[in-house]
Amino acid sequence: MSDNARRDFLKQVGITTAATVGLSSITAKADEYKSGEVQGVLVDIGVCVGCRNCERACQVAHNLPAGDPEEYHNRDVYKEFRRPSTHSLTVVNEFENPKNKLIPYDVKYQCMHCNHPACVSACIVGAFTKNRNGAVTWDTNKCIGCRYCMVACPFQIPTFEYDKAIQPKIMKCDFCFERTKEGLLPACVANCPVEALTYGNRDELLVLAKKRIARYPDKYIQKVFGEDEVGGTSWLYIAPVDFEKLMFPTLGDKPAPGVTEAIQHGIFSYFIPPLALFGWLGGVMWLSKRKKELTESETKKEEDK
Amino acid sequence: MKRKIIFTSLLIFSLVFIIVYAKVDNNKAREQKKTQASETVTQIGNKTIVPEVPNDKKYGHAMMPVDCKTCHDCEVPTKNNPCLKACPRKEFITIYHLPEEGPTVVSLDEVKGDYGAVAFSHKVHAQMSQMSGGCETCHHYNTTGPVLKCKTCHSTTRQRADISVPDLEAAFHRQCLNCHRQWSHSTDCQSCHVLKGQNIKQVEAEKLKKFKTYSHPPLTEPKKVIFKTNHQGGDYVTFFHTEHTDNFGIACKTCHSNDNCINCHDVTLKAIDQNTPVRKTHKSFQEHHDPCSKCHVQQIENNCSFCHQDQPAEAFNHLKVTGFNLAPFHTNLMCNQCHKQPGNFKNMDKNCTSCHNNFVKGKFDHKRVGIELNETHSDLDCSDCHKNNRFDKSPDCSDCHDGYAYPKQIPGKKAKR
Ligand code: SF4
Ligand code: SF4
Ligand code: SF4
Repeated sequence: MSDNARRDFLKQVGITTAATVGLSSITAKADEYKSGEVQGVLVDIGVCVGCRNCERACQVAHNLPAGDPEEYHNRDVYKEFRRPSTHSLTVVNEFENPKNKLIPYDVKYQCMHCNHPACVSACIVGAFTKNRNGAVTWDTNKCIGCRYCMVACPFQIPTFEYDKAIQPKIMKCDFCFERTKEGLLPACVANCPVEALTYGNRDELLVLAKKRIARYPDKYIQKVFGEDEVGGTSWLYIAPVDFEKLMFPTLGDKPAPGVTEAIQHGIFSYFIPPLALFGWLGGVMWLSKRKKELTESETKKEEDK
Repeated sequence: MKRKIIFTSLLIFSLVFIIVYAKVDNNKAREQKKTQASETVTQIGNKTIVPEVPNDKKYGHAMMPVDCKTCHDCEVPTKNNPCLKACPRKEFITIYHLPEEGPTVVSLDEVKGDYGAVAFSHKVHAQMSQMSGGCETCHHYNTTGPVLKCKTCHSTTRQRADISVPDLEAAFHRQCLNCHRQWSHSTDCQSCHVLKGQNIKQVEAEKLKKFKTYSHPPLTEPKKVIFKTNHQGGDYVTFFHTEHTDNFGIACKTCHSNDNCINCHDVTLKAIDQNTPVRKTHKSFQEHHDPCSKCHVQQIENNCSFCHQDQPAEAFNHLKVTGFNLAPFHTNLMCNQCHKQPGNFKNMDKNCTSCHNNFVKGKFDHKRVGIELNETHSDLDCSDCHKNNRFDKSPDCSDCHDGYAYPKQIPGKKAKR
């Protein structure tokens, strides 16, 4: 099959699947929403001092190696941009403040806990769950290690324990699901010395965020990141500079997943077992991987010439 | 061709799988779907959140019977953004504690955490703050009445109903770290906190002993500051500091916040000569111009050379520029005592009576100019000697006394001013 032919074939599969199962299955759940239940965190970048207490608290709460508290005050880590990893579910990065070099902008990153999580939709075995309180959690017993969530997430959040041969896990911030269940605050929120992280009802946080921007119009830009992005997220940010400057992706207000979600929900509604879908998608994956290898070897050959 | 075969076999394989799996696991899938449906939420309700104007708590001077707009030029003045009008204004805040009246050391032990309490050297901080915002740097919204406890508004626990006000831990840390991290370039805990288990009373006693007699060195004010800028043509900006503070009554905090502290306390400065007169500034273009722009509106907008000159500027000489000598009677006045309209200094009438309506016979104490009039002369009208009431000109004696002239002859005796 030539490359073009294959592409056409895939396109057709996509279109027919979408058409047969219909997209209506996604919105069918709207009635389940209970506004008061969704919690969130407002991250105020204008307040964060980059002490990385949140990082350490997160480590401790998740039984990850935490180390000495004083180590976290070493600001050398800020020389390189970091992303959440299997070893740290949240990381703080630092950016220069052109207005005052002595007060740089520090930004905490973690899972945004999207209202319409792409990871949930992409996961073909339903290992991800969007919980009523907003938290997007992951179940080790269901995961088959396909890593679609990693590809689907618009914020590049889920990470995979490549270094573990036996039962590698997908690692990401779980909004401290176990803690909040017991009425505790998320570990990072509880340990931030300046309360740059405010935990609360998402709707209330939105009001709070907008009030804060209105009160300090010179300090903040007129935007609450996460209000609309990919259909809204539980974690919200306000900042003194444009979010692109803080390495936030520019995203529309439509939920990230499109056809994938439709396929998945559609298939579930027709009781087609996920494993079969996995087999089918696995085939697609295998092919695209092979294609990549081919092009790579072709370019290599060209380079050799 | 090979690929085609692989692909077809894969499809067949999946189809077989579908059938087998569906048979074996249909029930399981149904269950899974059920649990999923009850666990998941994928939709967030309508959002129409309109920000309201916050209804500030009214403390202290906010209760005074004046329109807020008299001093503030924004809707909602806050601690960080009080938007005070900078130009000459009446001081409304009348109750002001001296730093020495407050406690010397305060133990901050209300918040429990990984570290121990903080023995806060209140007095020296208050002394420093005199130049960078005063008591209300910390005791915001509360400048006139009795000093409120921080926890009156700031909750001692993070989990609370009203999340619009930072909790006590955050309020403290924001207050301290905002300056301290700029000088220390760190957010380490131990420069303020004692270690857990350490006796705070003992640390407090030690500090009390140290600071009882120690005061922060007095804050000195430069006469002028010369800025070397990167402005094209007109590198130098000379700022006559004392003139602005003395003559216009501008308070330190109008321009300075914590930048004064940094000038001495920045840990990286220790490496270079502390006494060096040249200091690099961390301020942005806007931060440099904002304090000036409140009064020098037009100059900032379209007359850079008003401040930016090729070399350090001479001090303003009233006589040279305007022809009116401030010496000897007007040297200690604030500019706005004569130039009543802010920003408008031109076209003043140089005639004394245009300001002094008491320069009339019987009301004016002539001794003040150094001559006590004798009886004959004190009965005269001012204009008999001072033609057209021009007091800045020498009096004309020749109208009555042939060959007499001031100051050879005087109409009385010399007196002490
Ligand atoms: S603990 Fe708070 S202040 Fe410190 S880095 Fe994290 S968010 Fe920022
Ligand atoms: S940020 Fe990524 S991982 Fe987190 S909920 Fe959204 S899509 Fe999923
Ligand atoms: S909410 Fe919990 S898991 Fe997520 S970053 Fe904070 S501490 Fe880590």
